[in-house]
Amino acid sequence: MRNLIAFLQRFRIFLVFAVLQILALTWYVTYLSFPRNQFLTTNNNIAIQFLEWEHDLTKHFNLSKNNSQLQWENIYWRKRQPQFMYQLSRSKVKVNDTIYEQQYTYIPAEVINSSIDRRNNYFTLNVGTAQGIKRGMGVFCQQGVVGVIHYASKHYSLVKTVLTKDINIDVNIHMKKTDLPGLLKWDGRDARYGMITGINNDLRIKKWSKVETRGGSGIFPKGIPVGKVSFTEPIEGQALWKVEIRYAADYRRLQRVYVIKNLHLAEQTALEARIPDDE
Amino acid sequence: MNVVYKHIIRFVVFAFLQALVFNQLNIGFGIHLMIQPLFIMLLPFELTVIPMMGIAFLMGLVIDIFSNTYGLNTSSLVLMAYLRPIVFKFYGPREGYDPLKEPTSQDMGSNWFTVVYSILLGLHTFWFFLLEIFEIGRLGFILQKTLLSGGLSFLLALLIQSFILNSKQKK
Repeated sequence: MRNLIAFLQRFRIFLVFAVLQILALTWYVTYLSFPRNQFLTTNNNIAIQFLEWEHDLTKHFNLSKNNSQLQWENIYWRKRQPQFMYQLSRSKVKVNDTIYEQQYTYIPAEVINSSIDRRNNYFTLNVGTAQGIKRGMGVFCQQGVVGVIHYASKHYSLVKTVLTKDINIDVNIHMKKTDLPGLLKWDGRDARYGMITGINNDLRIKKWSKVETRGGSGIFPKGIPVGKVSFTEPIEGQALWKVEIRYAADYRRLQRVYVIKNLHLAEQTALEARIPDDE
Repeated sequence: MNVVYKHIIRFVVFAFLQALVFNQLNIGFGIHLMIQPLFIMLLPFELTVIPMMGIAFLMGLVIDIFSNTYGLNTSSLVLMAYLRPIVFKFYGPREGYDPLKEPTSQDMGSNWFTVVYSILLGLHTFWFFLLEIFEIGRLGFILQKTLLSGGLSFLLALLIQSFILNSKQKK
């Protein structure tokens, strides 16, 4: 016993160091996959208050650019509204449409805190479970896809953006005849470029072909822009392309985003839960 | 001013400067300015290593909460606090440090400060990016980020030092 105490006395400093390191690293590893508690993220009450003050100061910096983008988007949708179009045949009776049913609804949000040059970048949004936000919902902005909700507290939420290591959004590369499915990743180098993995190299990919979300997992609707192919290279020893894409959205200036709520998601997951596990 | 109060004020100022100003700057090229190592560096000489690691843990916790890095800053600051006495011993004067002096460039000389702080900051930054990227195959990228961020953070530390120095001369 006395030997043990002497040993602990001798290595006291190193033991304290090891305990603190293990605490910090456990926190890091567990929160990357699933944050259990809002207190250790920016979603806690004190941190979010300071970040809101900071955001109140800095949100005007990109105001004119963001406003003109919103104006362009308004014009785009206004052009497609039936009441602003000239009616060519007056005799037709308007029938209420029963072919289409609304599947997605959108919740507008503002980015309060963001970073782009870490290995894993998270954005803080000013909407939370009070507005119907849940973990796993998709987030996009006018120009393109942003990420997936990682954690939601009552009034705020955390987005795991496309600028993280294993974001794994399923995307399509638009080709002339077919669409090539792949998974979106980020290598941590440049916030303007992402990567797509899992593309077989039997087809030649044209530069600047469009990349869009596939919409298979029910997080994103089909066809939200992601970016354009900027560079392709065969991976040595594998029948795969290394595909680099240029993101459509400018994450540096991002301010207004939309959170997607899929009204059919419960139905889809309930149906897919019926697939037997062992097959 | 009492030494304890001075360092408590420094703790708050450094944490908020890092969380609300330097975290929000997106310079590009993977540059990430860090001023919190300077706070650990400027803690008094007579502070023993275990309380220093406790203070480093708290500082890292605050910054991690503000920047959603989940323990990365905590881990690297604790490592730096653990290594600080070892590096100080190696580069210290033979008779030991004068407890009336502070580990700043004006008290200990700019040569001493440059050598010691660049070693500690380099280790801190390297550990930070090593954990953050965590791929052995991309050691070059880790080193590039360490050199760029570390170099600029060092210059920033000299600038902050000169502010502290000026405010002291006025008194």
